[in-house]
Amino acid sequence: MTADSIHSTTQPDSGIVQLAPLLRVSDIGISFGGLKAVQQFSLSLPQSVLYGLIGPNGAGKTTVFNLLTGVYQPDSGKMNLSDISLIGRKPHQITAAGIARTFQNIRLFPSLSVLDNVRLAGQLRSSEGLLHTLLRTSLHHQSEAELKQRAMELLEIFELQHRAHELAGNLSYGHQRRLEIVRALATSPRVLLLDEPAAGLNPQEKRSLAQSIREIRDRFQVAILLIEHDMGLVMDICERIVVLDHGVTICEGTPDVIQNDPQVIAAYLGAAPDSGQNIF
Amino acid sequence: MPRDSTQSPQTRLTPANSGFSGTTGNAWYGLFPLVAGLAMATALQFILPGAAGPYYSRIVIDAGIAIVLAVSLNIVNGMTGQFSIGHAGFMALGGYTAGILTHYGSMLLWGSAGRHGGFLGSGELLFAASCLAGGLISAVAGYVVGLPSLRLRGDYLAIVTLGFGEIMRVILQQTGRVIDDAEKFRSGGLSQLIPPPVGGAVGFDGLPKYTSLFWVYSLVTVTVVVAYRLKVSSPGRAMISVREDEIAAQAMGVDIARQKVMAFVIAAFFAGAAGGMFAHESGVIISPRDAGFQRSFDYVIMTVLGGRGSISGVLIAAAVLTALPEMLRDFEQYRLIVYALLLIMMMLVRPQGLFGIHEIWDLFAPFLRRQQKAAP
Repeated sequence: MTADSIHSTTQPDSGIVQLAPLLRVSDIGISFGGLKAVQQFSLSLPQSVLYGLIGPNGAGKTTVFNLLTGVYQPDSGKMNLSDISLIGRKPHQITAAGIARTFQNIRLFPSLSVLDNVRLAGQLRSSEGLLHTLLRTSLHHQSEAELKQRAMELLEIFELQHRAHELAGNLSYGHQRRLEIVRALATSPRVLLLDEPAAGLNPQEKRSLAQSIREIRDRFQVAILLIEHDMGLVMDICERIVVLDHGVTICEGTPDVIQNDPQVIAAYLGAAPDSGQNIF
Repeated sequence: MPRDSTQSPQTRLTPANSGFSGTTGNAWYGLFPLVAGLAMATALQFILPGAAGPYYSRIVIDAGIAIVLAVSLNIVNGMTGQFSIGHAGFMALGGYTAGILTHYGSMLLWGSAGRHGGFLGSGELLFAASCLAGGLISAVAGYVVGLPSLRLRGDYLAIVTLGFGEIMRVILQQTGRVIDDAEKFRSGGLSQLIPPPVGGAVGFDGLPKYTSLFWVYSLVTVTVVVAYRLKVSSPGRAMISVREDEIAAQAMGVDIARQKVMAFVIAAFFAGAAGGMFAHESGVIISPRDAGFQRSFDYVIMTVLGGRGSISGVLIAAAVLTALPEMLRDFEQYRLIVYALLLIMMMLVRPQGLFGIHEIWDLFAPFLRRQQKAAP
């Protein structure tokens, strides 16, 4: 089954309310040698929600992202996007199926222009073949024009259109972070994984980021899973939060539940393992 | 932007926009560089030998072949960011394949291995078809050599490609003598083709000398147009993304395995075709040594000097590095020393190459943009 056909069979029917969760992950785990990086991780992500994934450093949050995007293959468990299994698929196939991500340490294509970064991501949904490119057929011109137009539209939404012809590596840090999100959205995802989008941003930029993340969810109808260390931001925008510690899910629930959970407090404040119970 | 406007595959395959049936305006626009290139090649063919004499014509032919090899190598080394130092292996494979076809093909068709027909005559057409076949055989080899690139990176991949060139060289040394007698070849059976009668260590002598400015610069045109069209379009951007960051490229839906192998196949095709031109150049006897790493290295130097991914930069570097040794014949023995020094200097002073990722016309881009802004 090719990447294209995966996508075409799973186009969402906008008129029908989908009751089943969009992304369903059950009991996935992975170990590196003796280290159990992630154990029995489960997650159910309905359409157009905004969930958070938090935990202390080294808890396995990014590993979960790498499992979801096919960078690592889980040792066990199941992952489904709508009705297709993601197990055993390569990263580019998973992106084609509809999961896009950003990276904790920015991974743009620095010597390509801003526009090319976005166009590159967009071409996943374009059917231009090598022959059409080399012969410059009308299909080539049409699909390149569409790609460019869509990329410019996206850049405009994120107010990067004036930088379209600059090299991505020359953008300011805040703009690079924003461009990573634009690029991920250009693959037309149904699930968007954001890995610490607020890292290194100043308070004002963080507020505007929180606003844009909500807007992205509403405008593009994507389900967003967010890794973030800024608790203010996470508690503010996420509807539900999953807390990882040492690769194990220790709590899942609404921000209120998370804030008052003794295990979470223990994990973050570094209290003795039994002190959580001592509160009661 | 509503989600539904993301192009669904169904809407794009209506007959009205299914490619070749486009407006004639577009089709002509697409053909224009090819037609211009062919016109240039024809002009060179008929004007240059008279105006500059056979010696300079020969250098221009050499430069053309070097341009094809360096620009095609740059698709692998520059655009896709892999490191191949076995390009001469593909060239030799294509050259020998084309040589077998013209030499023994001529014997079967016309009873002798000599030149047959004039400009664009039947002999030249056989020659063009043979170069094409040489390119295709090389492309198959490119596919095989490209496969390890899926698992190997950097130095390790370089060693595999180096190994390919050396294997080609050794295999070609073990071949049989060239059969010069057409009657003998016609009466002999298929058994005389094992081992292939292509001259062993001495080289494949006696090939009809069909290579001309017209054919070489026609190939240059096709190579440069293909390389440029790749560079500025979706498939090329996918290759460039592999060079920039493989992990990010995958996350953007780029099948990096496919891109790497495709780069090797395309590059090997043009190297093979250029090998066919080289084998049929007058004054040249293609020999196993031409598959070796020294020749491969010449092309690597051209791409490094020109700049990774810069087509015009590599083109200029290839032309200069072909012409310069001819001009400096008296200092021939210092050539490799100069090359080594040049490489070291480049690494220290300008590791991205003379042009980096830019094209020569990018120099004028700020000027053009200013004009465009001023116009409305």
